[in-house]
Amino acid sequence: MRVFLQLMWYFKQEKWRYLGGIVMLAFVSLGLLVPPKVVGLIVDHIKEGTITEEILWRYAAVLIGIAIGIYVLRYIWRILIFGSAVKLAMLLRNRLYEHFTKKSQEFYHKRRVGDLMAHSTNDLQAIQQTAGDGVLTLVDSLMMGGFTLIAMATTISWKLTLVSLLPLPIMAWATNKYGTMLHKRFHSAQEAFSTLNDKVQESISGTRVIKAFGQERDDIDSFSKLSQDAVKKNMAVARVDSLFDPTISLIIGFSFFLAVGYGSILVTHNELTIGELVSFTSYLGLLIWPMLAFGWLFNIVERGRASYDRVESLLAVKEEIEDSGSIENCPKGDISYQLEQFSYTTGTPVLSDIHFTLKRGQTLGVVGKTGSGKTTLCKLLLREFQLRLDDIIIDDHDICDYKLHALRNSIGYVPQDHFLFSATIAENIAFSKVESPFIKIKEAAELASIHKDITQFKYGYETVVGERGVTLSGGQKQRISIARALIKNPEILILDDSLSAVDAKTEESILQQLKRKRQNQTTIITAHRLSSIAHCDLIIVLENGTIVQRGTHLSLLNEDGWYKETYEKQALETLISQGGVIK
Amino acid sequence: MSTEQEPTLDELQQMKQWSVFKRLMSYTKPHKKRLAFAFFLLLVATAAELTGPILVKTFIDDFVTPRNFDQRALVVLASGYIGLIVISAVVNYIQFVLFQSVALDIIQTLRIQVFSKVHSLGLKFFDRTPVGSLVSRITNDTEAVKDLYVSVLSTFVQNIVFLFGIFGFMFYLNVKLALFCLGILPFIVLIMWLYRKYSSRSFYDMREKLSQLNAKLNESLQGMSIVQVFNQQKRLRKEFAKINQEHNDAQIRNIKYNGLLLRPAVDLVYMFALLMILSFFGIKSFNSPVEIGVIYAFINYLDRFFEPVNMMMMRLSIFQQAIVSAGRVFTVMDEEEFAPIKKGDETPSISRGKIEFKDVSFSYDGEQEVLKDITFTAEPGQTVALVGHTGSGKSSIINLLMRFYEVNKGKILIDDVPLSNFENKELRTKMGLVLQDPFLFVGDIMQNVRLYDETITDEDVKNAARFVQAAPFIERLPEGYQTELGERGATFSSGQRQLISFARTMAFSPKILILDEATANIDTETEEEIQEALHKMRSGRTTIAIAHRLSTIQDAELILVLHKGEIVERGTHQELLRQRGLYHKMFLLQHGKDSMNDVG
Repeated sequence: MRVFLQLMWYFKQEKWRYLGGIVMLAFVSLGLLVPPKVVGLIVDHIKEGTITEEILWRYAAVLIGIAIGIYVLRYIWRILIFGSAVKLAMLLRNRLYEHFTKKSQEFYHKRRVGDLMAHSTNDLQAIQQTAGDGVLTLVDSLMMGGFTLIAMATTISWKLTLVSLLPLPIMAWATNKYGTMLHKRFHSAQEAFSTLNDKVQESISGTRVIKAFGQERDDIDSFSKLSQDAVKKNMAVARVDSLFDPTISLIIGFSFFLAVGYGSILVTHNELTIGELVSFTSYLGLLIWPMLAFGWLFNIVERGRASYDRVESLLAVKEEIEDSGSIENCPKGDISYQLEQFSYTTGTPVLSDIHFTLKRGQTLGVVGKTGSGKTTLCKLLLREFQLRLDDIIIDDHDICDYKLHALRNSIGYVPQDHFLFSATIAENIAFSKVESPFIKIKEAAELASIHKDITQFKYGYETVVGERGVTLSGGQKQRISIARALIKNPEILILDDSLSAVDAKTEESILQQLKRKRQNQTTIITAHRLSSIAHCDLIIVLENGTIVQRGTHLSLLNEDGWYKETYEKQALETLISQGGVIK
Repeated sequence: MSTEQEPTLDELQQMKQWSVFKRLMSYTKPHKKRLAFAFFLLLVATAAELTGPILVKTFIDDFVTPRNFDQRALVVLASGYIGLIVISAVVNYIQFVLFQSVALDIIQTLRIQVFSKVHSLGLKFFDRTPVGSLVSRITNDTEAVKDLYVSVLSTFVQNIVFLFGIFGFMFYLNVKLALFCLGILPFIVLIMWLYRKYSSRSFYDMREKLSQLNAKLNESLQGMSIVQVFNQQKRLRKEFAKINQEHNDAQIRNIKYNGLLLRPAVDLVYMFALLMILSFFGIKSFNSPVEIGVIYAFINYLDRFFEPVNMMMMRLSIFQQAIVSAGRVFTVMDEEEFAPIKKGDETPSISRGKIEFKDVSFSYDGEQEVLKDITFTAEPGQTVALVGHTGSGKSSIINLLMRFYEVNKGKILIDDVPLSNFENKELRTKMGLVLQDPFLFVGDIMQNVRLYDETITDEDVKNAARFVQAAPFIERLPEGYQTELGERGATFSSGQRQLISFARTMAFSPKILILDEATANIDTETEEEIQEALHKMRSGRTTIAIAHRLSTIQDAELILVLHKGEIVERGTHQELLRQRGLYHKMFLLQHGKDSMNDVG
């Protein structure tokens, strides 16, 4: 029940809705007590022969009034209580989302997107259930159960109440017991299902091997065994699951039996009228739901608490990047790296001893093997990770002195993994400048040599891309994400290995255009293919996070080392891929 | 009855859904007897359950009211009542379990069918179908169909029988009032109709918004670094809040519809029905005496009438989902991209291992040719190596030789017999394929080597392992051949995994060896062992080898250099180097200029 305390802030915030809802629930519970009573009274009148049309009309009016009243109240409390629960989930969801947008890449390195999604969906759902069904079952089991018991004991007979309630604790005990059994068996059925799932996953991915060894038949047999096992486990669940209804009706049957039997004795002793006995049996029926609700309540609350704790602890994760700089102006493109060492929070240094200076308008090329630290070098400039004082100086100020948004406004970044959003191409290009006129979007696309491709799509710039849109080639995605960066006309442009899927001719044309357009702006290019960076004013070669060679294309070709070797190798590779003939 | 649930569905789809439903129902045929028995039990249990109130009625009218307490009659009545509730509980339990067992058996059949079907399909099908979606068809979708059988169909059958039972007993008690009670039905049907029309639409709407919301969230999380780098946090927060609000509104709408149409509405009908019964007896009592027990029984039946109705209404939405899933399962079952099948009546076997390609051309999609007029012969015991850059067609040659795909033009002969005349089993056991990625299954090393073939003894496995030099490292493991391989063999180095897959190939003692870049991903530690093992494996066997590292195939009798699907150079290592063509350049690339001095 602690979760109700944890959620108290919200209950207080929505106190009128919750109070209103609870009061209505109370009235509904009271209202439900009336029809059985009316039935009893009418039965007695009929029995005594005292019934008149007038009495009948009066009771009819009462019943109709109660029925409509309950209908209306039920409709309203649902909106009040369930509506508030839905709103709570929305609130928390927005809060989580805002939190996510503020988290640095460090945060995302440590967590899987799948887990974060689970928190924002399953956990919020459990919390919503606690704030809705949880409150309902608590109130209902206490009020409806309580009211009904009071009505039975005070208005009819406390002796009869005691006697007929005797079997009910067995029901509570049995359903609780079944619940635990069911939980266990359900768990093992789930496991069998996931084993089956793994098996299928394996068979499908290994289909070549299975076919190569002619093992299809045997694999089907093995699948069939696992599937049979899943059936067995599910049967075990079914055997317990099927116990609930018969048990409940059996116990209720006994309870009715006692009520009718002992009730009749009381009737013959004139301690009870026959009508009261009829009312009593109806009240007994009303008690079933509160008893079940009470068992259910514990389930809901337990899940809700675990989920709420998880969401809370996620929200409690502190910001790693301090946005404490004060400079609101966007920096110009003079960049100086004076980095002694950089490592992610845990682990060995990723970069060390990186020193270089770029003047505004210059172009830097960064090359080196996979894992040599090229991407990290770029990302430091974006301040995706926390830096030390004087590591990087931009436009005469320490990088940390700038407001984050000011710094990032100056930078156009094209990442390695060309991520596009599920939106139109135009929207993707204008991602940072939503209000851009079409002419600007087209201009950026032309600069990135993607305009022609786009016009060939059926819907042109309105073509939807991303996960749920058309499939683009890697090269097309890369060029769209280049256009996305270029539309900002950024002071500093970073191309992080983002020409890899583009053919040589297109690469050449993009580089030419960039050179022409960005004479007074700084550009950083990392690449595997040396042709992408041959034109750079400064080229650095990284190995294991440190600079092993630096110079221009020409100077590096004249010195033995990684650059020269790689250049010759790549020239040969190009030759081979063209069939050995220089075209 | 499923069809109107989704407003976006048109007539055509409705018909399709109906045929899916009929097809699902056809799976119940083999279980007719068990179903009939379950149905019989259902009738017994329902009758027993509904006879209870009649006994109470008799008790009230014949004993309590006239104050007549005949001991023996009372004992009979009481034990009858207890007997009935016990019988109904027990029989009900049995029929619940029976219905479920039939449902689960049907799912078992369905699963094996779809799984077998998938195995009978050709690699062409796998090329165009993502693994994830196929897995989902076999597991998740059949699971959804399970819900249809277990919690929808059986519930519907049980509740409908129960409702019929109630009316039956009402008619037994009082025909006139029972007829009046039939008047409730149109209201119930109306509510169900309204519910399906409005509430299910708003439910669908809510689900749609939820999936949008989750898609947005998922995408944002994946692209968060872009969002941050481009300073778009505020805008995206706004966009997210907007969808969130829409989702919220859809949920509220759903709550409202449920509040108007679900339980509260059904309860409202109940109240009016109660009023009707009371008035009926009240008015009747003006003229004639009324038996109190009958009133009791009627009210009792009325109380029981509405629970099944509520239950069926709650299960309606599962139905739709299951039909959609079943449709997807059937699509896979109707797939016709079968694996190539054997032609001719004779069952030739591979004895020598001669391989011949004659003018073979091939295309995966029927448009772009990936192999053009490939001709070569591998004499028994020879090694033919295929080299060329990525996409030159090396793997396609192997795919054709393994008969994963059908040749478009030309002929492939083994021991001078067309490839298509061999049984698949013969081909697959006599030709040992070693893949670039040594795929290992969950299980121990023993199982991974012999796969499912029980004729391969433990000793055979050990011999195979010794032969490929895998024995030393396996025997050093604490559990030896019983060592469990983790997910895809992740616990072993790539070299060790490759050695295990070599052992697997050798355990089947193939006549022909096919190596698909078997040395491409090997760590240097085991490279020597691998090379030695390969050398041993090749001796005495016809071998077709794809090699990235030219050093591994220098002793091949024939090297074919492929470019864009054509053989552009052929010869031995030395001949090809002397040609100073493509092969020569590849060799330079891998070995640097210095090594050329030796061959010059």
